[in-house]
Amino acid sequence: MSARVIASRLAQMVLVVVAVTMLAFGSMNFLGDPLCNIIGPICSEDSGEEFAEVRAEARAQYHLDDSLPVRYGRWLGDMATGDFGRSFENGTKVSTTLSNKLPITITLMVYAQILAVLVSIPWAVWSASRAYRAVDKASTVVSFGMLGIPVFALSVLLFWLFAVKWDIFPTRYEDATFGAQLKSLFLPALSLAVPLIATYQRLLRTDLISTLQEDFIAVARAKGLSNRRVLFRHALRPSMFSMLTVFGIQTGALIGGSLIVERYFSIPGIGAEVVEAIIRDDFPTVLAVVVVVTVIFVVVNFIVDLLYGFLDPRVQLDG
Amino acid sequence: MADTESPRTVAPPDEVPLENPPSIARQLGLGFWVSVAFLAVVILLAVLAPVLPLNEPTKIAVGDKFEGPRPGLWFGADGNGRDVFSLTIWGSRISLLVGLIAITIGFVVGGSLGIVSGYFRGMFDKVVSFIFVTLLSFPALILAILITTLLGNTVFWISASLGLLAVAPVGRLARAQTLVFAERDFIAAARILGASDGRIIVKELLPNVVIPMSALALLGMGIAIVAEGTLAFLGISVDDGLSWGKQIAAAGTTRVLREAPHVALFPISVLFLTVLCLNYAGDRIREVFDAKELSL
Repeated sequence: MSARVIASRLAQMVLVVVAVTMLAFGSMNFLGDPLCNIIGPICSEDSGEEFAEVRAEARAQYHLDDSLPVRYGRWLGDMATGDFGRSFENGTKVSTTLSNKLPITITLMVYAQILAVLVSIPWAVWSASRAYRAVDKASTVVSFGMLGIPVFALSVLLFWLFAVKWDIFPTRYEDATFGAQLKSLFLPALSLAVPLIATYQRLLRTDLISTLQEDFIAVARAKGLSNRRVLFRHALRPSMFSMLTVFGIQTGALIGGSLIVERYFSIPGIGAEVVEAIIRDDFPTVLAVVVVVTVIFVVVNFIVDLLYGFLDPRVQLDG
Repeated sequence: MADTESPRTVAPPDEVPLENPPSIARQLGLGFWVSVAFLAVVILLAVLAPVLPLNEPTKIAVGDKFEGPRPGLWFGADGNGRDVFSLTIWGSRISLLVGLIAITIGFVVGGSLGIVSGYFRGMFDKVVSFIFVTLLSFPALILAILITTLLGNTVFWISASLGLLAVAPVGRLARAQTLVFAERDFIAAARILGASDGRIIVKELLPNVVIPMSALALLGMGIAIVAEGTLAFLGISVDDGLSWGKQIAAAGTTRVLREAPHVALFPISVLFLTVLCLNYAGDRIREVFDAKELSL
């Protein structure tokens, strides 16, 4: 990938992030009233003179009398210097909340991706090397079913089986040790991973089947290489394009999924936090999470683009 | 789309082209028609719920507390002795309605933006494409919760916020389809004959774009139903009224799961089968009409 292409991709990324911040900032200010979110029902002008001072104070403190573009510019500038503002709810710094909670959510998302890759790659290789036989068709049915199950329903199902009925995993989140954390995060991560496993398995299987018909595979087999070596060393890498593409896109699904599983399994991450923040109209927190999460999504997809060139050096990306 | 096949798909070896290709109904296969039949039953039950001889869904002590399934009380009773079967059927009404409205909004808005921008190209196309990229980069579930919370959790706003999420994927498919057909001879012919842009879009482009889009409509309907369930599960859904997500959330607590898992398992199964049938029917249509552009 040439420097020019990378530069134009980076520029587009910045534009997208700025557009997302405008959409988020705008929707909260047009659709809601920040003053009411800060001081509650006394924000209305006709709620009595005795609150006029409170109103004026809050307006001044949060610069609410400035025009929207000015406020947006100030907020963006603060954000760029790492100042995410303070929560409307309790005045704690949003950056503190983020640094406490973001690592948990990232651990959860990486955990889910690792589970998904660990299961889907061997499964896809296994089924592609038995393509169109009965066992492969049966496994295709299984993966199709896994795609259809909603994350929230799966969470309830897994929680019921493995935490309530068989008592293998804890019903509460614990993170006294890293081992305990991994154990409590297993069911949530698995709930997130199941649809990913199915997605990756389907894409990788299809691509592997077509790779296995190419000449260089015939050559590898003719050299007498073992079946395992042909599959994993020769066929796998050039077959990973589609899977890699959705790997980036699925980061978005994981972010949405983390809202669900964190709330259901009471995990103190930013997913559960943002749901709470939206419900209690805590806009600085919501905005900060939206920005962080969007940046993660855009950066992961950018890295995926860079990886194409690594998987197959013949790939040329255009700006 | 997550479940699309790669463009490099190779046909299974046993699929030799036939001299007389079977009818489309045959090609869609038994599974497709079983799915359609199941969906028809679900929709019929939802529509007819007020006139069916069901227990009132909100009536308590119809059965014993956490009573198991038995004839007459097919899905058992919940913690208040309410009829879970009746709750599931009444709950389907909001889930299906939201799915339907959301996907309609997504298709009307996204479809027309996609077709128009793909047909005229130029600056408008660039702006629309950028809007699509922005919408796709915005964390979807957060956007839906945000809009619903700010504008009110009514059926309309929930559907509208989920419809907004459908605009970008639908629009991108419609645009991709339009780009494919806009270059074809029959469009050029229509233009030479003096047809206006509006006429070409409606009479020539639209019919060709609709079939691959119908596959997406079924898949999208499944996604919208799951999204509504997710919102309800998170505690953000229609204030009064029942929905599958609410029902599953209420039954998903440790206490209920320990005493009476059937209260959760029945609505989960019905939701799962509904989404599965929508996915399968959409997938079959896509395969039969070979709409590989879905992956764009």
